[in-house]
Amino acid sequence: MTQGHRLAALRTLWIVAILAFLYIPIISVVLASLANTRYMRFPHRIWTVDAYRDALGSFTTWQLHTISLSIALSVVLISTLLGTLGAVAFARYDWRGRGWFQRLLVLPIFFPQPVLGLALLLSFTAIGISPSWKTAVVAHLVWIVPIVTLVISVRFFGYDVAQEEAAYDLGASNLQVFREVTMPQIWPGVFSGILFGFLLSWSNLPLSVFTSGPDTPLPVWLFTRTATNYSPLVPSVAVIGTVVSAMIVIGAALLLWASSRLRSPAR
Amino acid sequence: MMAETATQSGRPVILSLAGLSKSFGDMRAVKPVTLDIPEGEFLTIVGPSGSGKSTLVRLLAGLEAPTEGRLKLRGEDITSIPANRRPTAMVFQSLALFDHRSVGQNIEFAMKMKGVAPDARKTRALELLRLVRLPESYYDRPVTQCSGGEKQRVALARAFASDPEILFFDEPLSAIDYRLRKTLEVELKELHQRTGRTFVYITHSLEEAMVMSDRIAIMQAGELVQIGTPAEIYGRPANRFVASFMGEVNILAVEGAAFPDIGRPIENPGGAYAVLRPEDLQPGTGDIRAEFKVTQRLLLGSRTHLHLESATGAAFVSEIGGTVEAFAVGTTHEFGFARDSVVWVDT
Repeated sequence: MTQGHRLAALRTLWIVAILAFLYIPIISVVLASLANTRYMRFPHRIWTVDAYRDALGSFTTWQLHTISLSIALSVVLISTLLGTLGAVAFARYDWRGRGWFQRLLVLPIFFPQPVLGLALLLSFTAIGISPSWKTAVVAHLVWIVPIVTLVISVRFFGYDVAQEEAAYDLGASNLQVFREVTMPQIWPGVFSGILFGFLLSWSNLPLSVFTSGPDTPLPVWLFTRTATNYSPLVPSVAVIGTVVSAMIVIGAALLLWASSRLRSPAR
Repeated sequence: MMAETATQSGRPVILSLAGLSKSFGDMRAVKPVTLDIPEGEFLTIVGPSGSGKSTLVRLLAGLEAPTEGRLKLRGEDITSIPANRRPTAMVFQSLALFDHRSVGQNIEFAMKMKGVAPDARKTRALELLRLVRLPESYYDRPVTQCSGGEKQRVALARAFASDPEILFFDEPLSAIDYRLRKTLEVELKELHQRTGRTFVYITHSLEEAMVMSDRIAIMQAGELVQIGTPAEIYGRPANRFVASFMGEVNILAVEGAAFPDIGRPIENPGGAYAVLRPEDLQPGTGDIRAEFKVTQRLLLGSRTHLHLESATGAAFVSEIGGTVEAFAVGTTHEFGFARDSVVWVDT
């Protein structure tokens, strides 16, 4: 009995330790943003939200978010489209060369991102394209499209494709088959693909550092300002950026929930 | 030649196959098939896996385009009309129910595609639920919550909802346990009789075919080898393949005027093989008799199967009615059969 108690206590301790390991660094960013000094020291002598006032009033904060958001939304749009089509080729039909397609598609994921970033920057300059947020979109796509494709492919393996034939046999046009069967079946995968695409792009540093040129996305700014010109403004912008992306993700989830609620009782 | 029986029935032909064939690359999945299916018939196409029966029914449903040949529905050429514009419906092997939808939504699918109003759709769906003997309360149930047998009924109702001229079945009962399958076979036969629709049913089980069908077509390696009523198929199998497909049978090679297998002479009307059913090989009777050693005794309840070995070492099966405890393994007895119980085949 006592041994059982001890085991249970150990297990609780282990879980608490893991959670602390995961979340203390995140909490420490929040704590650092509430200081008025550039020296990272704890506990603070003065607790203040001055950094947030500065961040919200600064044009740079807005610009960083606009750039990151432009990149992320472009990436989501293109990667979801390419990922869905790619998943059809990856998982749905058996065709000559599919094995090679599957291998080549996942290859970029295994490349170290800084190497990929450098390679892309060299390619862009070689063909005379100067880096900007648009080249960063291309760079992100190289990394994110394979992941989104795989995420959506899983759904294609997960349902009986004879359902599409059945729908067709019962008089549905190709478009109706897609709308009535294929899309509802792969939608959970597409939705995860959208979230993955957004979050991976929003938080990407190694590709953006090489390929965004004069347009600075959020993670790149955080990195350079931490390295060269740190102040509590840096963690406060980091917290704002996290809140913004969390709001977008939660908003998307709510939208999905609301749309499914709207559709089901009306049938 | 194969169309003869169809016209004999006196009913108009609903579906007519003329040299319909399908090749995948070099592989000929279905060799040219010519066949007339009369209105209201329950036709079953039987064959082992890989015999091309599934491909044939997919050609008929329009899910696969034939390599050669024509297909006519009531005299109208429908060869190049795709499945979604053919007035036929298929019940798939996996049933292919829309698992993200309710029972009602599944049944109403074809009507929804046709643009039927929701109220009319629901009225018809409830009617179809009664037709397949499901309670109306199932209308709002997700299909994923239905049992295997209930899913079969939903799939059937969904196919009926498109008001098809012909229903195709691609082995829908193959994944169902024995007792439920027997029940559904009878229900399907009744449904056929009640609705008067034309059913084309695919199965690998000749037993299933015998129970339900008006006519049976046997397929072997992409070819229709025999077509006829269950009694014709059973009584006069076209070859050894058809005969052995019926269940365990004894096939005796004949050389000249003797069965080398049992070392007895016989009047050979000109076949290369003699087919002898287990129920025709009985102890102590018959024109032609020989000594056999019992090697195995299988009690099947209503009947007993005896595995026998002739003096020349050939294996035979005899079926005796009832549970018989005599004929112990290792003992030798005289078994025989009537001369006219033998079915002769050439190949």
